Amino acid sequence: MTTTPIPRARPNGWYGMLVLVATESALFGALLATYAYLHFHDPRWPPPGIEPPSITAPLVLSLVLVATIAPMALAARTARRRRAGPLVAPIALALIVQVAYLAFQAHLYADDLDRFSAGGSAYGSIYFTLLAVHHAHVGVGVLLDCWLLARVRGGLTEYRRGAVMAIALYWYFVGLVGLAVTATILIPSW
Amino acid sequence: MAVESSAPAAVERIHRLDRIWAERPGLTGWITTTDHKRIGLLYLATSLAFFAAGGAEALVMRTQLAEPKEHVIGPATYDQLMTMHGVTMIFFFVIPLSIGAFGNYLVPLMIGARDMAFPRMNAFSYWLFLGSGVLVYTSLLLGMAPDAGWFDYVPLASRRFSPGLGIDFYALGLILNGISSTAAAANFLVTIAKLRAPGMSLNRMPLFCYAILATAFSLIFALPALTADLVFLELDRKLDFRFFDVAHGGDPLLWQHLFWIFGHPEVYIIVLPAFGIATSIIPTFTRRMMAAFPLVAVAELLVAFIGFGVWVHHMFATGLPQMTMVFFAAASLIIVIPSGIQIFAWCMTLVTGQPEFKTPLLFIVGFIVFFVFGGLSGITLAAVPFDQQVTDTYYVVAHFHYVIWGAAVFPLLGGLYYWFPKVTGRMYHERIGQLTFWLVFAGTNLTFFPMHISGMDGMPRRVWTYPSGLGWGLTNLLSTIGAFLLAGGLVALLVNLVVSAYRGAPAGPNPYGGATLEWATTSPPPPYNFAVIPQVTSAYASWDEDDRASDRRRLEHGDLVLEEGHRTTASTPVDGHLDGVLHMPSESPWPFVLGVVATLGTAFVLTDHYLIAALTAALAAGVLTLWHAKEPAEA
Repeated sequence: MTTTPIPRARPNGWYGMLVLVATESALFGALLATYAYLHFHDPRWPPPGIEPPSITAPLVLSLVLVATIAPMALAARTARRRRAGPLVAPIALALIVQVAYLAFQAHLYADDLDRFSAGGSAYGSIYFTLLAVHHAHVGVGVLLDCWLLARVRGGLTEYRRGAVMAIALYWYFVGLVGLAVTATILIPSW
Repeated sequence: MAVESSAPAAVERIHRLDRIWAERPGLTGWITTTDHKRIGLLYLATSLAFFAAGGAEALVMRTQLAEPKEHVIGPATYDQLMTMHGVTMIFFFVIPLSIGAFGNYLVPLMIGARDMAFPRMNAFSYWLFLGSGVLVYTSLLLGMAPDAGWFDYVPLASRRFSPGLGIDFYALGLILNGISSTAAAANFLVTIAKLRAPGMSLNRMPLFCYAILATAFSLIFALPALTADLVFLELDRKLDFRFFDVAHGGDPLLWQHLFWIFGHPEVYIIVLPAFGIATSIIPTFTRRMMAAFPLVAVAELLVAFIGFGVWVHHMFATGLPQMTMVFFAAASLIIVIPSGIQIFAWCMTLVTGQPEFKTPLLFIVGFIVFFVFGGLSGITLAAVPFDQQVTDTYYVVAHFHYVIWGAAVFPLLGGLYYWFPKVTGRMYHERIGQLTFWLVFAGTNLTFFPMHISGMDGMPRRVWTYPSGLGWGLTNLLSTIGAFLLAGGLVALLVNLVVSAYRGAPAGPNPYGGATLEWATTSPPPPYNFAVIPQVTSAYASWDEDDRASDRRRLEHGDLVLEEGHRTTASTPVDGHLDGVLHMPSESPWPFVLGVVATLGTAFVLTDHYLIAALTAALAAGVLTLWHAKEPAEA
């Protein structure tokens, strides 16, 4: 009697990603709390000579990044149900938008670096650190997407199914944490 | 052979499993292994080596402090040894021994699984841990070890006051160590959630696994605060950021807050696995189930949870608002409740059972004594006025050594004896074992009890020497004598285990009549742990003789033997219903390679070679691709 039932619960990889997302949330929690802590200890926020960040570009950008959750969720649904359905196309679409997002953000980051330095004030230090950590997370996600696309073009296996679901979960997290990061850096601009 | 059976069908199945799960022989096998038991043994050997180093550091310090105005070592060396002693014992000894060695070896066995959920990530955790330890110890060999204490407060740790590379070794080494611990914790959470044997619903899970579960949760949520703190410190030191620089709007207390948001949960991360070991050993030697099983399980989780709300009690002397301090003092006192539940449960089990005071149980009794004593001095420290009086004195050193050495490490020593027959297949020497207990117990008290008095008499911590005529000479001399007695006991313990590994009497699968599933398989267990995945109907599965007899019959029928490849079962997270069969990854060189690459990359950052470090990161991405090139089902 050798029964090998197909698991109905979510794959281990998805649970692993859930734990990673939990620990990364704590990391962003520490960074956001640091921003708030330093802000409360310094009434001149940002310090004289530094303009508060403009509202429009960061806000629009982070909403665009959040929107990529939709195609990723679509791909994850296909994988979860183990049925034929949209898979490669939505991941590719999300990837294009995410790469564009990262390029635009890098441009803004460079602009900011021209205006003020990370070493000039605690404000500059946490501002650039917070954004850099967020961008690094987007960068890692882009690499994961590229790897995933190369894999799933050949069809779904149990292993790839787990990968699609896990990487989609990663993007839900990065999108939502991006909103939190943007809301925080825009505090002085309201 | 995991289950005794002479039926030809069963023997043939076991031979097939032996072939499927065999790993490469020799050194290559140890480097590429994904067997949780071998990884556990690697953790054991490495953490004991670091323990020897940290212990030697302590002995040199105690020798220096034996009498007033000694000159065995100078102040600079003393500061380095003091820092390395703390860092070593916490990050390179207790945590890797409790989680890495005991957790790795035992959790899959106790839940009836064949491996961890992510076997290769498990290997990677170990290699990264080893890399971080080698990195930090390189600093000591180069004579530039970190010297700002294990908590590394700024501004002392800033570049202005600590210009050498020591603090950078500390910060970058601990970031690597943190990644390793995070990976290990994630692995335990998923393993415990998903790989429990069919029938092992959460309420039938051994209490040791609850302790590891609580520890892993704490690690997942506590370590990021330390990582962020260390990154800030390195940015300040290397790239002139201003996180901790008051002149530019930064704040040194930010370091302390983030450090202790990690650092206090860390205390419970250290002590929780010890609780788990106590709840494993006590039922075995009292011949009864743990009293108040569900309460103890909840208390283990509650200690971890409340541990996140008490960090400010390390900062009572930093001038925070009165209201904040009162809140944190109250939160610190609440920890007494879940701790008390456990102490009473252990004592009730001992009192109402038929205790047989073999060596492992002796260490647990010692642990309860130290935990109560350290807990009582802890209550005195939770009172703000008293804390402010003894802050930075030897009273604090005495308190946390009673807790971290006495309460956290004693069960680990008891655990070394307790599971020794399982790991080696041989018994340790019982009378020498009991002798080592008394030596270590007496040595611990003689070392750390007089420190309470030194502290009350005003002796500050972290001093390399002290003048005569202050009345500190006698208590310090006693502490030093105690330290050497303690070391002697530990050497005797080691000799007992090493000699017994070769000459001990054969142990058989279950020499003490232990209750959990690790005792249901052979000693040492085969690479696949169980020839047939056990089915579980209670938390004391090895005492359920009908179930184990049914395992033997199922082996003959081939039910859940999973002899078609590297496989184990997956269960639903809460109820433990059989949910499917998983293909497990097998041995691989890539975790080792990635560990080496990550350590090298960190060394390049340390020495300011940022471009090479970036190239190393690209190389690491390449290694990860190769790691995942083959899917488990194709292997």
